[in-house]
Amino acid sequence: MTQWTVLYQKEITEMVRNYKILWIPIVFILLGVMQPVSSYYMPEILDTFGGLPEGTILEMPTPTGAEVLMNVLSNYGMLGVLILVLSAMGVVSEERQSGVAAMVMIKPVSYSLYILSKWAGLLTITLVSLFIGYVASWYYTSLLIETVAFERIFQSVVIYSIWLVFVVTLTLFFSTIMKGNGSVAFVTIFVIFAISTVTSLLGKYMKWSPATMTEHTGQVLLSGKLDSSFLLAFIITIAIIIVVLIATVQLFKRKDLLE
Amino acid sequence: MELLKASDLVKSFGNTNAAVKGINFHIEEGRCVSLLGPNGAGKTTTLKMLSGLLAPTSGSINFKGEKPKDLRPYIGYLPQYPAFYNWMSGKEFLVFAGQLAKMNRKEAEKRSEELLERVGLTNAKKRKIGGYSGGMKQRLGLAQALIHRPKLLILDEPVSALDPLGRREVLDMMREIKEETTILFSTHVLHDAEEISDDILIMHAGEIAISGSLGSVMEEYRQPILQIEFESPAVDWLKSIASYSFVSEVNIQGNKTSIVLKDMVNGKQTLLKDIVDRKLPIRKFEISQTTLEDLFVKVVKA
Repeated sequence: MTQWTVLYQKEITEMVRNYKILWIPIVFILLGVMQPVSSYYMPEILDTFGGLPEGTILEMPTPTGAEVLMNVLSNYGMLGVLILVLSAMGVVSEERQSGVAAMVMIKPVSYSLYILSKWAGLLTITLVSLFIGYVASWYYTSLLIETVAFERIFQSVVIYSIWLVFVVTLTLFFSTIMKGNGSVAFVTIFVIFAISTVTSLLGKYMKWSPATMTEHTGQVLLSGKLDSSFLLAFIITIAIIIVVLIATVQLFKRKDLLE
Repeated sequence: MELLKASDLVKSFGNTNAAVKGINFHIEEGRCVSLLGPNGAGKTTTLKMLSGLLAPTSGSINFKGEKPKDLRPYIGYLPQYPAFYNWMSGKEFLVFAGQLAKMNRKEAEKRSEELLERVGLTNAKKRKIGGYSGGMKQRLGLAQALIHRPKLLILDEPVSALDPLGRREVLDMMREIKEETTILFSTHVLHDAEEISDDILIMHAGEIAISGSLGSVMEEYRQPILQIEFESPAVDWLKSIASYSFVSEVNIQGNKTSIVLKDMVNGKQTLLKDIVDRKLPIRKFEISQTTLEDLFVKVVKA
């Protein structure tokens, strides 16, 4: 077995032992299922708990399946991102703090292998959670509202996963260069929030921004077509991810692992 | 045969004073070398550079006459505070460490069993490391350092944090290990260094003050010393004897005094006569020689 598989396997085993492999997908499933269920039962819910006067006639347009799924993804964009960042914030910083990172690095392990195994571990949990949650959401949506073409589902989840990969790559970066868990989470979320806000405020100039991935996802869901600016954003996002990974490895090399 | 040679090794952090200021030394194969020095002398920094964890600011490290790019395959390192994945069992960690050192799984498992037996952790091998005591962690740390049969075993303060029993265990293990592997360990417990090392290096303020085999260093710096214990302090007399030509140093510690003499034969008679004449109440009058501790104190205070 190569060092890479040993390190990656360790990441997965750790997530199994601390139940991350269980609770993060569950959160994504809950977030995904709640949306179609609550859209479907909204009139009943309002009827029962709304305290509306007798005889009020509720005219609520039932959202289309695509709209429901867009809402699911926007939930993932808020709560999902928060959960991912919080669960990944200690990925390197905790190991540095406890000193166990040094115990790994005193063996002839390359610095990039260590960081890449962490990255792969994070991608695994992120993508597995997103896919499972989204598929559950799609299933309930087609059960209760209407079926959205699987092709669109597939395209949209692939595009959306690029955004989440970007998010966890940033988390890994800050977890490597900073020590306190709280500050890692705070800075990561701040940066992601800033990128999203600037992108939506200055849409015209930010066509390349990784945050546009969420917009492209919506577009694919609603119309099945990709905007022409997707390719640019896609290339730039992948490039940023690669550059951030390289920077992470380089900065990790310079850290004194036994302070 | 020369195993490792450090030439003009410098490490500085930022713009502050260098932690290690251009040191030169070598380690012979098969020896047990202790690195002594007060806190902040640069011992840990030196060990980290030798283990390949920290790049030197300048200078070079030769291993068996070559200059390998990566020293880590040849070195087993036990940090001062070894840390583990607490969710792993002792055996799992050793196998993990072995595989990282490029052993295949079978080999790593076999070697792990062997080492667990050797460090006395066979019964605890399936338990989570989180539940291990400090001594057990130290022994597991020793096992992980040995897993890939390193040419040089580097131990940073292997016994400082342990209770007397744990200390004894680790020292006994080191004595066994030194039959097979070259050991370099740092300590500030001088007694341990005297007990098991063949060679010593004394560091002070980022430089090597003294190096050589334990025997030759002791020989070279050994001085006759007179230790007197009084029933009550006799400061006046002790101050007056400093004027004798054969006295080179007087150290007073409460009722105990150690006097370094240039001429033992003449000195002890004169002093003993003095004591009798003045009717000084003494409890002990002993002739001995300076220990490693005296040498250490001298180097550090100089």
